[in-house]
Formats: sequence, C-alpha cells, structure tokens
Amino acid sequence: MKKRLLVAGAAVMAMMAASMTANAEPTEVTLWHYFDASADKEAIVEWVDEYNSIQDDIHITSTYVSRTELMNQYTVGALSGELPDIGMVDSPDMASYISLGVFEDITDQLEEWGELDQFYPGPLTSCKDPDGRIYGLPQNTNCLALACNMDLLEAAGYDHMPASLDEFKEMVAATTNPDDGVYGFAMCCISTEEGTFQLLPWLRSASGGEGVNVDNLTAESAVNGLTVLGDFVSNGYMSKECVNWTQSDAFNQFAAGKAAFAEVGTWHLAMTDAINGAFNYDFCLLPTGDEGTSTSTIGGENFGVCSGAADVDACVDFLEWMCSKEKEAEWAVVAGKIPTRQDSEAEYTYETDGFDVFVEEMNYAQARGPHAEWPSISEAIYTAAQSVFVDGTAPADALAAAMEKITPIVEETPLP
Amino acid sequence: MKKSLSMSARKTREAYCFILPAFVYILFVLGYPLLYNVYLSLRDVDVKNLTKGGDVFIGLKNYADLFGNATFRLVLKNTFVFTIACLVFQFTIGFALALFFYQKFSLSGPVRGLLLVSYMIPMSVTGLLGKNIFSNAGLVNNLLSKIGIIGPEWLVNTSTAMIAVIIMNCWVGIPFNMLLLISGLTNISPDVYESASIDGANWIQRFAHITVPLMKGSMLSVLMLGFIYTFRAFDLMYIMTAGGPLNSTDVLGTYSYMLSFTQYKFSMGSAVAMVLFACLFVVGLFYLRLLVKEEED
Repeated sequence: MKKRLLVAGAAVMAMMAASMTANAEPTEVTLWHYFDASADKEAIVEWVDEYNSIQDDIHITSTYVSRTELMNQYTVGALSGELPDIGMVDSPDMASYISLGVFEDITDQLEEWGELDQFYPGPLTSCKDPDGRIYGLPQNTNCLALACNMDLLEAAGYDHMPASLDEFKEMVAATTNPDDGVYGFAMCCISTEEGTFQLLPWLRSASGGEGVNVDNLTAESAVNGLTVLGDFVSNGYMSKECVNWTQSDAFNQFAAGKAAFAEVGTWHLAMTDAINGAFNYDFCLLPTGDEGTSTSTIGGENFGVCSGAADVDACVDFLEWMCSKEKEAEWAVVAGKIPTRQDSEAEYTYETDGFDVFVEEMNYAQARGPHAEWPSISEAIYTAAQSVFVDGTAPADALAAAMEKITPIVEETPLP
Repeated sequence: MKKSLSMSARKTREAYCFILPAFVYILFVLGYPLLYNVYLSLRDVDVKNLTKGGDVFIGLKNYADLFGNATFRLVLKNTFVFTIACLVFQFTIGFALALFFYQKFSLSGPVRGLLLVSYMIPMSVTGLLGKNIFSNAGLVNNLLSKIGIIGPEWLVNTSTAMIAVIIMNCWVGIPFNMLLLISGLTNISPDVYESASIDGANWIQRFAHITVPLMKGSMLSVLMLGFIYTFRAFDLMYIMTAGGPLNSTDVLGTYSYMLSFTQYKFSMGSAVAMVLFACLFVVGLFYLRLLVKEEED
C-alpha cells in the first residue's frame, strides 16, 4: 500500500513538474506583415528571431501575407475573430480597422511606457480613434519628394532643380522629348490608395496663399493643382498610362530614363541601384506651390495588437521594443524609411543627401485622415483625377463631383 | 394491398433519407450565406457599426440608392455588355472551331489539345498577360504598328478597355465552348449525315436541319453555363484593370467586392451581390424551364 502511495505521489509530482514546465513555455504569438521589399522582408524575420531570443514571455512567428489579402483578412476577422496577435497596417487604413474593432485599445500600456511624447504627432495620430485612444504604434514613416534626372535638365538648359510650381511646369515642358519617348513627369494616379497618396500634395498645395484639406477641394489652389497635372497629360508631358501605374511603375519609368521628373517615396532611396549610374539624379522638395512652399503626404506602416490576442501585454512589450529609439533608427536605415521618433537618429549609409531632402519634406507632409471612411474619400479623389486625365473633364467640375461624395462623409464625422 | 402500401411508404422514407445529406449540405453551405446576404442587404451595416452594433433595418433603401447611382447603372450595363459580347464571340468562334476540329484530319487531336492551354491557365495569369499585351507599348500595339496602324491606348481609354477585357475573356472561353460543343457533335450518329447525303442534302442543309436541331441541348447548356460563368466575372478585371479606368470595366462582381472590402459598405456590397444573384437566378429558371420542355418533347 505504502509503495502504491509512493508511486501515486511520484506521478502527481511528475505531472505538476510537467505542468510547471508547460507554464514556463512562452506563449505562441503570430505576427502578420506585408513587407515585400527584399531588405525589410529579411529584417522583420531577423528582428522577430532576435526578440524571441531575448525574452521568454512570448514566441513570435512572423508570416508574410500580401497587403490586399491582409486587409481582407482583417475585414473578415473583424466578424469571425480569426485575427493574428500582432498585425501590420498601412497608416491611412488604421482608422477603419480601429472602427471595425480589429485592434485592441492599448492606451494604458503605452502611457505607462512613457515614451509616447517622442513620436512625431502625424504618424502617431494615425493610431488613434476620434476619442484619442491609441491602438498601435507607427513603426516607420515616409513621404513624397521629387526625383530629378539632372542630365535631361541640363540638356534642356537648366542647372538647378525646380523651386516653385510655375518653374516646374516650365521644366516639365522643356524636358519632354517624344522622339526619345521621354516624358517630363511621371507619377502614380492608379485607382487605389496609392493614387490618392501621390495626388494629394498637388491638391493640398499652397499656391497663391494657403493650402486646403480634402474637405475643401473646390478651393482655387486645389483646382489649380489638378489643372497643372491635367495639362501635363493633355499636352503629352505625362503619360496617360499613369492612371494604371503603381508607385513602383512610376519610379521604374524614372529609373529607365523615360521621365525627367518623378514623384517618389522615401523607400525608393533604397532602390536607386536600378538607375545603375545611367544618369545623374538628385532629389528636391515637391514644388507644388509658390516658391519656398512644398506639400507632401505622410505614409508609413503601423503595428497594432489585434483583438483577442493571446497575451496583449506581452505583445505591447514587443511593439515597444520594435519602436524603441534604437530600433526605429536601425529600421529606417535598413528599409529606407524615416524614424517615427524625434529621438531616433538614423545614420544612413547610402543616399545621405536624398534622405536629408525627405527628412526636410516631412515638415510639409500632411496626414490622410485619420478617418474611418477614408477609403470612400480616397475613391472620390482618385476618381476626380482620373476623369480629368482620361475623359478630359474640367478639373473644377471633377473636384466638385468629388466634394459631393466627400461632404456628407465629413459632415457626419469631421476630419481631425 | 395494405402490405404494398406500407412498402411504398417505407421506400419513400428511405428516399428522403438519401436526399437528406444533400439537403442539409445545401441548407448550410448555400442557404445560410444567401439568407445572411439578404439580411445584410436590408440593413445599413458599414465600417462604423459592423462590430459595435447599432445597425438598423432600412428595407429596400440600399437597392433604391443603388439604382439611383449612375456608377451602379454603368456597372450593371458593363456586366451585360461584357457577358453578351463574350457569349456571342466565344460561342460562334467556339462552334466554328468545334465543327473544324470534328473533321478527322491528322493532328486535329493534338492541335485541339493545344488550344485548351489558354483555358487551363489560371484567370489571374490571363489577367496579367492581358495587362502586358494591351499596354501602350505592348504586343498588340507593336503588331499593329508593323502594319502601319497606331494602336489605341487600350487600357487607358474608357472606350477601349472593355474591348481588351472581352478579348482576353474570349481567349479563355473559346476553347471551353469548343470542347463542350465537340462532345455534343460526337453524340450525333454519322448515319444521319450519311443518309442525308444520299438524299442529296448539301452541307448548309445538313448543318441547318441536322446539326443545329440535334445540338440544341448542348448549345443551350453551353450558352447557359457560359452566361453564368461570364456574368460573375471577377478575377480577370480585378487583375487586368481593377475595374478602371473610371469604372469602365467594373462589373457586378468587382463592384460588390470594392464596396465591401475597400470601402467597408457591407450592406451596399451585399445588395449588389443580390442583384447579381437575381440576374443569375432568372437565367437559371429559364434554363430549367427549357430543360423540362425538352424532356416533355
């Protein structure tokens, strides 16, 4: 009997020990991202491995899901609850997903962290709901500037880059050369958020005074901005195919020497190898308005903890590590982005002058929204531009039609 | 007498038992999503209330809004233009090819097999191919320039984008039609043709009075299947043009997706899907009636 008791006791002890070891096992956590450029795709895997090795609370598995698919998964997951624990999201889409309940409110954890005031207001605002609650952290940011083919500029008799919209118009016309298949300007006006991202600087430009936001696109400065782009297309200075070009298509036109100027993003600085010394190039602020002014759009990706995550606090710890002062600086260099924190100093090892331009441009870069119905606002904007480029609609009429769609949306929930 | 009645009653019960699994399957896999879709389309579910609740019953307002919306009317028109144009071309060309390849000549089998390649390629790949072939400096314009024609900017103009999409869809649809029609042709006994020839019928008479009447069933099936398959097109446009430029290639499938998954207007997207369903349902009923009528004949 005693022997039996002993055996039973040993078995209980063994089970307890086993369950204790099980408790010590880190919680399995999934992270979904859509980084697809070679540099950041590899970096995210390395970072997750590094984080897994320095702590025992969670074990993260990162999975690549294409951007569109990831967006669909969030929408479906909002109802079914099948979401990753940590998810990446494009900054203008975050407001919609917050409204759909995809992300956890992590305001309390982040306030306890005490480093929120280090983040630039633009990118951080995109993680907030209209009540100011925070649902994630901006992991990287970027904006748009102008890439210039200095050889083509020189051939057209210019030794400098454009400083104002008027000068830009002149230079685009002068550098266009149909015989060589060279257009003056290339940008992306595709019927997706990418198109809106690139159109906004011209619509919100400060020409003849103050710039406007998307709730007032019938203002003279916005109409003027779209008129300039429409004239580029109708005069043959910009290819009509821009309505089907993504941002990488527009950059490829520039890199192939087929466009004298192109509207490019910060991340393209990590892709200038494609030019391969074929011509001299430089970057300057987007000349969207009067001399001395510029307008750009803030881009970037946020990370949030999804609703129903296995261990919310531990996932927030990961976000805080990922968006720490050092890591922000490191990511910016690896992926060709700009840190989202004022205290992070990215020491770029390539295109340093180019990065200086983009960092300066950030001062003039404006956020999209945040607004839960931003996708509908966005659709109105790119549709207006496409109707000017494709159908030859008058810019004022096209923007008036856009405002018919935008006004009821912003009247119900105003832009911040 | 009594015994045989109970036998037949038992048989009926057994028969219902056999039907039950299929019925349950249809109820859950088809019935539930369909009813949920009807329910969604009668409410005002969007990005603001999907998970928070607070959506209300608004009756047919979504449908009224849709039919009052110029973009939706364009999308509906596009869907019919796309479907009818594709059916006309892929059916006539497919039928002509079927008649051609039905002739037993050497290599007719392998060439027929090769033609099927375009049907076997995934639609998303076809979409990418179309995007390249019809780009401004793509294959089509390149070939046109060889014969001195400056090709249009196919995918950039609202007037030509639909033509490009229709051509790409026919490229896939023609071999599909051909395949089904050849199998219909093989069901016609050669004796019929032989006796007609002996009676002095020429090929036009043989075609009009033998092939067409005897092929009626296959032709109807091909047209109906083609209609259903083409009407709910999505992937080709999604990849090739994303519905653009300016909704000129948007069809009900892509428009419903855009409303639900890009703009999060879930109820509106469901209403579009219901319109799509209703159109196909009417065609389906029509097809069933024809089948029943044929059986009666």
